[in-house]
Amino acid sequence: MNAESSVRGEVHELSYAESIRDAMDIALGSDERVVLMGEDIGVYGGAFQVTGSLVHKYGEDRVMDTPISELGGAGVAVGAALTGLRPIFEFQFSDFSTLAMEQIVNQAAKLRYMLGGAVSVPLVMRLPSGSGTGAAAQHSQSLEAWYGHVPGLKVAQPSTPRDAKGLLLAALEDPDPVLIFEHKLLYKMKGPVPSGYYTTPIGKAAVRREGTDLTIAANSIMALKAEEAAKTLADEGIDAEVIDLRTVRPIDRETVLASVRKTGRLLCVYEGVKTLGVGAEVSAMVAESDAFDFLDGPIVRLGGAECPIPYNPKLEEAVVPQVPAIIRAARDLANGAI
Amino acid sequence: MPVEVIFPKVDMDMERGRIATWHVKPGERVSKSDPLFDIETDKAAMEVESPAEGFLHHVLAKEGSEVAIGVAVAWIYAEGEDVGDVPEGRPTPADAPPGREPDRDETQWQRPAQATSPPHAGNRRATPVARALAAQRGIDLKNIGGSGPRGRVQAKDVIANLQAPEPPLDTRSLPGWRPERGDLAVVRSGSGAHAPILMFHGLAADGPSLEALDPLLPQDREVLKMELPSHGRSPRRRVAGFADLARQVRVRFDDLALDNVHIVGHSLGGALALALADTRPRQVRSVTLISPAGLGPEFGGQILRGIIRAGSAASLGPWLRQLTSDPATITEDYVRAAMAARGDAAMRAAQADMACTLFPDDTQGFDVSGTLNRLDCPARIIWGRDDKVVPWRHALRAPGKVALHLLEGVGHLPHVERLEEVASILSDNVCRSSRSRAAN
Repeated sequence: MNAESSVRGEVHELSYAESIRDAMDIALGSDERVVLMGEDIGVYGGAFQVTGSLVHKYGEDRVMDTPISELGGAGVAVGAALTGLRPIFEFQFSDFSTLAMEQIVNQAAKLRYMLGGAVSVPLVMRLPSGSGTGAAAQHSQSLEAWYGHVPGLKVAQPSTPRDAKGLLLAALEDPDPVLIFEHKLLYKMKGPVPSGYYTTPIGKAAVRREGTDLTIAANSIMALKAEEAAKTLADEGIDAEVIDLRTVRPIDRETVLASVRKTGRLLCVYEGVKTLGVGAEVSAMVAESDAFDFLDGPIVRLGGAECPIPYNPKLEEAVVPQVPAIIRAARDLANGAI
Repeated sequence: MPVEVIFPKVDMDMERGRIATWHVKPGERVSKSDPLFDIETDKAAMEVESPAEGFLHHVLAKEGSEVAIGVAVAWIYAEGEDVGDVPEGRPTPADAPPGREPDRDETQWQRPAQATSPPHAGNRRATPVARALAAQRGIDLKNIGGSGPRGRVQAKDVIANLQAPEPPLDTRSLPGWRPERGDLAVVRSGSGAHAPILMFHGLAADGPSLEALDPLLPQDREVLKMELPSHGRSPRRRVAGFADLARQVRVRFDDLALDNVHIVGHSLGGALALALADTRPRQVRSVTLISPAGLGPEFGGQILRGIIRAGSAASLGPWLRQLTSDPATITEDYVRAAMAARGDAAMRAAQADMACTLFPDDTQGFDVSGTLNRLDCPARIIWGRDDKVVPWRHALRAPGKVALHLLEGVGHLPHVERLEEVASILSDNVCRSSRSRAAN
C-alpha cells in the first residue's frame, strides 16, 4: 500500500476501536510524554469504550479524566502540548468540539505562527463523528470540513482499522495539531492490523480499487460504501476507481488528479453536508487543474442533505449517501446520462 | 522549418494594425487558408488566413494588441516538428517599438473557446475532453452528433467520428426513409397541480392510441404522452439499440423538467418506462406497466411485423385482431383509424428498422427485469392472460412488491379490451403513490 512505514510484526484481526487502543497502548508504553485526556476515558473506558482499561495499565497520571468542560479540557491539552507532553485528547462526540473551538482554532492552530515558530503544539485530538447510530442531530454531525478550513490544523479520517492505528501513530509524530475524525459506525468493524509500531502517512490518499470508467473520491465511511457500490457496478460492466481520501487537510491532490486524468469522470461522496463540504473542495481542485481537460462529463457530488441529522432511523439513513444512491449516480455518470 | 505568420499590410497607408480576435489558440491545428485572426485598422477589418497547414505556436501578439506590419506574430509548425524557442530572423512585436497598449484586460485571452466566434466549438455543448480531442484532430464539433444529455458531445462521439468517414446518419441510411432531426413529440392534455402522468406507447402505436384513458384518469393533473422515435409526430430517427432508444427518451424527459411524475408504459413503452424509472428514480413516483416488453425473450414478432408492414386496412385488420383476445373488439372503424395513422410509408420503414434492431429474430434483444428489483416507488403490472405478443408469464420475474393484475380474456391491449378496469388500476396506483411519498 502507500508508503506505510512499519516495524512489521504479525497481522491480527482487530476492530477499529481495538486498533486505536492498540496505537495508544504502544504510544503510552514507548513514550512517557504521551498522555490521554478526555471525559470518562478512565475507569469508564470512554464514551465508545475506545480507551478501555488503559487507565489500569498506565494509571490516572497518564490516562486522565477531565471535567465536563470541553473548552477547559482542550485548553489543558493545548498547554500540555506546548510545554512538552504529547497529549491525545478525546471528545465524547465530535459535535462537542464546537465548545472547544477557541482552543482548537485560535490557539492550537495559531500558536506556532503567532510566536514566530518558537513553539509548536504537538496535540492529537480524537473526534467520534458521523451519523447512523441514532444519536440525533447534536451527536451525529460530520464537521471535518470546518476544521479542514483552518491552516495550522491537520485533519485525518481513517476508514479501516489498519489506517486508524497508522494515522494515530503518525499524528503523534507530527509536530503540529492533528484532528482525527473516527466514524462511530466503524468502531466495531474488524480488519487486518499489523502488530507493533507503524505509521500511515498523513496527506496521502489510498486507491482502494483501481478502475477505468470513473473515479469515486470519498472520505471516511463513504469510502467503504463506495467500494461496495463499485462491486455492484462491476457486475454491470462499470469499472469504478475508488479513492479513500484518508486526510482532508492536507488533501492528496495528486492522487485524485491522476485518477481523473485516467477515468475522465468524478463522483465525490461524503457524509458532511453537501454545500461547502469536502466534495466541494475535491470538485474545485479538479476543475481548476489540468485534469479538467480530461473530464468527459460533469463532476457529480453526493453529500449529506441540507438539514440536521434526524433521530428517526429511516430519515437518518435517507439524509446521507447510501450505496444504492452511489450506484445510481455512478451508473448515470459512467453511461453519460447526466 | 516552421512557417511565419506575418502581420500583413491590408491598407495602402497602414503602418500598424490591431489583432481583434484569434480564431485559433496556441497548439491548435489549422489547415491552410483557415481563418487565423481578424485585423482591425481605423478603416477596415479583415480576416487573415493561415499560410500553411500545421499547429499554431509562439503567438506573440495578444488579442487587442497593436502590431506593426511585416512582423511575425506566430509560427505554424508541421505535424511532428519540434517546437523549440521562437525562431529568429524576423522582427517580432517585441522588437518593434511598442504601440499603444491594449485597453483590454489581458484576461480576455482566457475567454473560454465558446465565447469566441465560430470556427471551432461555437456554442456546442461538449465535454472538456471532447473539445480537446476535436481540436487535436482538427474536427469541427458542429459536425458531430452528441450522445450526451441535451446533445452534449462526449469523447466517444468524437472518437466515433474519427472512425466514420462520413456522418453516421448518411452512411447508415437504409432504403425507404431518412433520419430526421428534432425533438420527440409530447402530446399534452388535462391540467392541475398534482404530479403529472407520462405515458409511453408501444411499437407501431402512437400517443393517441392511449387517449381513451384520459377521461377516466384523475382530473387534477396533466397527462403527457411521449411519442417514440419514428412514431406518431416524432421525427424519424435511427435507433442503435434499446439503450440508445432509452437514452433518446431520457434526453426528452430531461427537457420536460418534470420534478415528480407517474409513468405508464404499454409493451415496448413499458420497458422504456422501467429504464427511465431506473435512471431518474428521484423524479418518478409510480410506475404502471401494461403488457410490458423487456422481461423475457419471447416475442410475437410475426404479428408486429404484419402490423408494421401493412399498407392498407385490408392487410392491417387481421394482424390487429391478433392483438386482442376477442377479435371482435377490433372493429372496422378501429382498423381504418389505425391505418390512417400509419399512412406514411417512410414511417413504417423506420419502424421496421427499429423492430429489427430491438427484436432480432423475433426475440426481445434487451432485458430490463433487473430494474424491477431496484424500483423504489410503487409499481404495478397489468397483463392479459391471452397476450400473444408478450407472454404474461414474464411478469413472474417481478419481485413480490410489484403488484400484478392478470386479466382473463384479455390479449395484448388491456387498455382497449378493458379500458375502465385498466384506468381504475392506473388511477389507484397514481393516487396512492401521491399520498405515500409526500416527503419526496
